[in-house]
Order: sequence, then C-alpha cells, then structure tokens
Amino acid sequence: MKTELLAPAGSLEKMKYAFLFGADAVYMGGKNFSLRANAKNFSLEEMKEAVEYAHSLGKKVYITCNIVFHNEDLEGLKEYLKYLESIHVDAILASDIAVMQLLKDEHINIPLHISTQASTLNYEVGKFYKEMGAERLVLAREASKEDIKRIHEETGLEIECFAHGAMCTSISGRCVLSNYCTNRDSNRGGCAQICRWVFDYKKDNEKVTDIPFSMTPKDLNMVPFINHMIDAGVYSFKIEGRMRSIYYVSTVILIYRRLLDKIKNGTLTDEYKKYATNILNRVANRESTPQFFDKLPGVEEQYYLGRKEESNQDFLGLVLDYKDGVATIEQRNFFKLGDEVQFFGPNMKTTNWVVDNIMDEEGNPIDVARHPQMIIKIKLPFEVKEFDMMRVKVFDEPTKND
Amino acid sequence: MKKQKILININNLEEINEYKKIGINNFLFALNGFSIGYNSFEIREIPEDSYILINRVLDSKDIDSLKTIKDDLLKFKGIIFEDLGVYQIFKDTSLELIWNQAHFATNLTSINIWLDKVSSAVISNEITSNEITDIVSGVIKPVIFNVFGKNMIMYSRRTLLSNFNKYNELEKYNDMVLGENHTNNNFLVKETEYGSAFFNNEYFNYIDFSNTLNDDNIKFYLVLNLDLDTNTIKDVLEGKTIGNDGFLNKKTVYRMSEYTDRGVK
Repeated sequence: MKTELLAPAGSLEKMKYAFLFGADAVYMGGKNFSLRANAKNFSLEEMKEAVEYAHSLGKKVYITCNIVFHNEDLEGLKEYLKYLESIHVDAILASDIAVMQLLKDEHINIPLHISTQASTLNYEVGKFYKEMGAERLVLAREASKEDIKRIHEETGLEIECFAHGAMCTSISGRCVLSNYCTNRDSNRGGCAQICRWVFDYKKDNEKVTDIPFSMTPKDLNMVPFINHMIDAGVYSFKIEGRMRSIYYVSTVILIYRRLLDKIKNGTLTDEYKKYATNILNRVANRESTPQFFDKLPGVEEQYYLGRKEESNQDFLGLVLDYKDGVATIEQRNFFKLGDEVQFFGPNMKTTNWVVDNIMDEEGNPIDVARHPQMIIKIKLPFEVKEFDMMRVKVFDEPTKND
Repeated sequence: MKKQKILININNLEEINEYKKIGINNFLFALNGFSIGYNSFEIREIPEDSYILINRVLDSKDIDSLKTIKDDLLKFKGIIFEDLGVYQIFKDTSLELIWNQAHFATNLTSINIWLDKVSSAVISNEITSNEITDIVSGVIKPVIFNVFGKNMIMYSRRTLLSNFNKYNELEKYNDMVLGENHTNNNFLVKETEYGSAFFNNEYFNYIDFSNTLNDDNIKFYLVLNLDLDTNTIKDVLEGKTIGNDGFLNKKTVYRMSEYTDRGVK
C-alpha cells in the first residue's frame, strides 16, 4: 500500500510544520499563475529554498500553476516554467491547456499534474490529459468511489483526491459568481466566496420566505472512508487550506498521518476514526462530512443559515525547547493555572495535563499566560520536543484498548 | 451581423419555423440527460441538420451511457461540448466538434490549441472587448461568439434548491432567483437531478459590439435564449436594446491590491 499525504503550504513556515507533522509532499503557489492570489505565496527564491529543504528530507514540492489564463497572463509563463524546471520542483498543477502544451513544445521536463480546477470526473477526460502528458490527475471533488476506481483503472495514472478541507459549492472551475458580484476573477485566484453569502429567495420578483437562502457546504472529511479511498486507487491524499494557520495544518496533517499509518499497520479502529473526526471538526470550527464519495450530498451536507465563524482559540502555545523537565513555550492564546490542556506533536502520544505551574521567562511564578507570543516556562512531568504544540484539552486520544 | 451566421438554441419545436421566417437556419438543441440549464430534447425530437449541446460535467457512468448512443448522434451536424470526454468519444468521427469549456476559453493560445483539434470553439464573453477582439483576430479557424443571452455562471452537482426547500419545509420551488443585496445581483437557478445551474439574471447584449469583429473569423454568432419569446428575440436581433454590455468594458481583477470598492485601481 503506497500513499502520499499532501499538505498545503501557504508559506515556508507552514511547509516546515507540514513536513514535521507528517506530510510527504506539499503544494504551493508562486506570486503569479496560481489560484489563491491573495495568499502570501512564494517568491522564486523562496520556492528554490522550499524545494531544497523538501528534498533534503526526501519529500516533494508541487507548484500550482492552475489559473485560467487571459492573454496578458501568458507573458512570462515560459520563463517561469523553465525556472521551476531548473530548481527541480517535483511537479506542476495545471488546468489550462496552454500550460500543458507549453511543457511539450518547449521540452520542459516537469511532471504534469492536472488540477482539480479541470473538473476531471470520468475516465475519458483522464485519457485526454494522459495524452497531454499528465502523470497525475487531481480529481474533481464530486468524484464518487466508482468514478475514482474507473479513472484509476482505465488511465493507469496516479490519482490525487481531496481528503479534507473546505469545499466549493460549484464544481471547481465552473463558477464565476465572484466575477459578477465583485469583479474578482475566481478562475485567476480572486474568488470572493460568494457561495458563502446569503441571498433573498425569490420567485416572480417576490421573496417566498424571509429565511435567507444559503448554500455553503460543510467541509470535506474523508475519515470514514479513508481506507475505501485507498481501495479505489487513491495515491495522494490532499488536504485543502493554503491560507490556514500552522496550528490547523499541523493538527490536520498529524491526524491524517496517523490514520494512514494505522491503516498500513492494521491498527485503525472505529474509536480512532471518531476521535479523528472530533479533532478535525474542532480545529476547523466547522462540521465536516464525506460529501460525494458514497452518495450525492443532500440536506445534511450543507449549512442553511449565515454562519459567523469565530477564530479558534484552542492553540495555547508552541514548544520552543525542553530541558531538565522544563518546557519553554511561546504563548498563542490565554491560559491559566488549573486549565486542562493537551500536548501533541509528531513524535509523542497526545498527552493531557492540568496546568499546575507557569513561570515567566526569568523563572518567576505567574498565574496566567496572558500576552500573545510571551515566552513562558512550565515544569512538565513528561518530555516534549521543539515544535510540539499545546492546546485546550479537547478530546482524549483513544488508548490501544479502546 | 449576418442572420445566416446566427446559431440559436431551441426551447420548443415551434420556434424553429418562427426563426426560419427571418432567415435563421442554425439551431442548437440541449440533449436530454447530458445537458443542464436549458430545455432539453430526446434524440428523436431533434432535426438532423442541428447542433447538439452537451454541457454537463459527466461522470464515468454518463460516459458509458453516451457511448451507447454514439451512433445515433452521428447524424447531427455537430456537438458543442463542455466535458472533454465527449471530445474523446467523437474525435475520430466526421461530426463537427465544438469546444465550449465554459469559462476556460479566455486566451488565444488555448483557443488555438483546441482549434487544432476541433472544428470550432465558443470563446468566452466574460472578458473585455479588447481581449475578444484580439482573440477573434488571431484564431486559426472561425470561432463561435455568444452575443445574447443569460450567461450560465455556476454549475453545482448539488441539488441546492431542493436541499433548501426541504430543510426549511418549503414547497418544491424551482427556477428561483437568488437576490444578493450588497451588490444588487440576481441569479436565476434551475435545478434538475443533475444539479443546479446558475445564470446571471440580466441579459447581456453584445450584438452591436459583434459588428466590430472580423466576421471572417466568426463561424456563428450564438444566441442562448432561456426565457424570451420568439418575437422578443427577433426584436433583439433587429437591434432593439435589451441587456447590458457585460464584461466588455469591465476588466476583472484577482489580487486585492488591484481592487477598490469602485473597481480596478
């Protein structure tokens, strides 16, 4: 069983956390030619540094080049692709045939992955892209288990599917609501997420109800079917969220890393899946479901009221150091003596602890860690490592006996 | 705009004679089961000298179904397709294949790559007049330009209206208009078992502008009529001003740094 856990990398820092917490590969965008035009994105130098860093760990970097181009956007594309080839990126993701043809015509040796923006939902489309030189297909999020299986079997290409994160209401690439409402071009990275707004619900110019119309999908969560995805032929499990925080990326990647590892060594239990789902819903502040994999989504797969998403305050601190039983921690959210917290990280079992001591940077006892990014010290009865994280105690990780 | 170069979709069969009376002889029929948003027809209902619209994003089962009716479709003039699986199935036949990948036909390079493979392409009308002019001037084969209609601007596989109706215990509303109050936009949503098609509820009218394009490079001027009667369509084609100028004079942006409340910096 060979799989890849693919993480979003909105910045070098996020990339490093993604790798540390278990990603096999990351995808990122440059300053141009990439959807998520308003993410921080990577300069040419940063991309080079990212690739070198990833390769030093035996991991991979894929570059999104997946906008739908207008004439003016094509300027500089050839040079950009040649640069990406020169720094040995592991693949590019494209949806516009102009990019695919340019790779061929200019003999640019970069593996081609077809972006989900191309809405690949059947095996004949897969064959078309194979003829265009694709090595991998990122399928539309609407692909069912049967579609995935057929496409994999009939094309022989690597299959990448989204496993977790936000969903478009539309089939990706088939929506320009943003262009009409805000003049921001959704297929060039400017999507204003109009499908998360609310609308009057009208017939013949009259509202038929005062209830605002909403069509926001819940997030995708493939935990219940992750082993079925492997059976269907999915190689790469993609996590959405280039604009998400390091806490979000680290939490989600760690959960999926453990899920895939548990499948590999035959120890995945329903209890662990339930725990994973709870953690994932909590970190996103949203409910999540498998969406299209096993059925067409219906009433339960959407939200119906305008939602105000409050920022998640669970991330309490980042471990900077651990020495002689004392952890040095950079505070991220308010906590105090008596709070129940949890430490988690790539090399430790998630461990609960009640805060029974806090010291300031000089070692003086304090009751509260109040200030963002203040440095504090805590005596801990168990070992933690640099980059482990401290969060509000949310759910107990199942023990082997559960 | 030459009448003989107009290609118009048919919503009911009686429209055909009405249009023929004014010199329009090119008709487009949405194919039942393989299209979304428009009134659709069974193969047996469609005249042989017509074009077929297949605008759904197809899954693998749909592709299997399409292969079973492949031979029946060969009698028509051509297929305007969105899903590239349609191209794969019909590329070795004599049928005219017309690439119409919704919002993707926005640059000359991609359009010409496709024109090398197919008979024609429907170019985007969600780009500026300058961009359209550049594209039409540079294409290697005549293309199709959509001059009047309501643009389909979103396609969701979800049954969004049914879900909302059911959740809120409303009657089974369909063909609804969603009103967005901040930006004063209205979207017409038509739902079938294949999902929800969103149209901008304002007509665009590029008929005057189309007269500035190089006619030699235009195969058809496309009219996609959703809900107007034939007399109104005839009036529009005779120059009656219905509709707006869409994106002809409005350049889209995609970086917040380029964006202000009043438009592009």
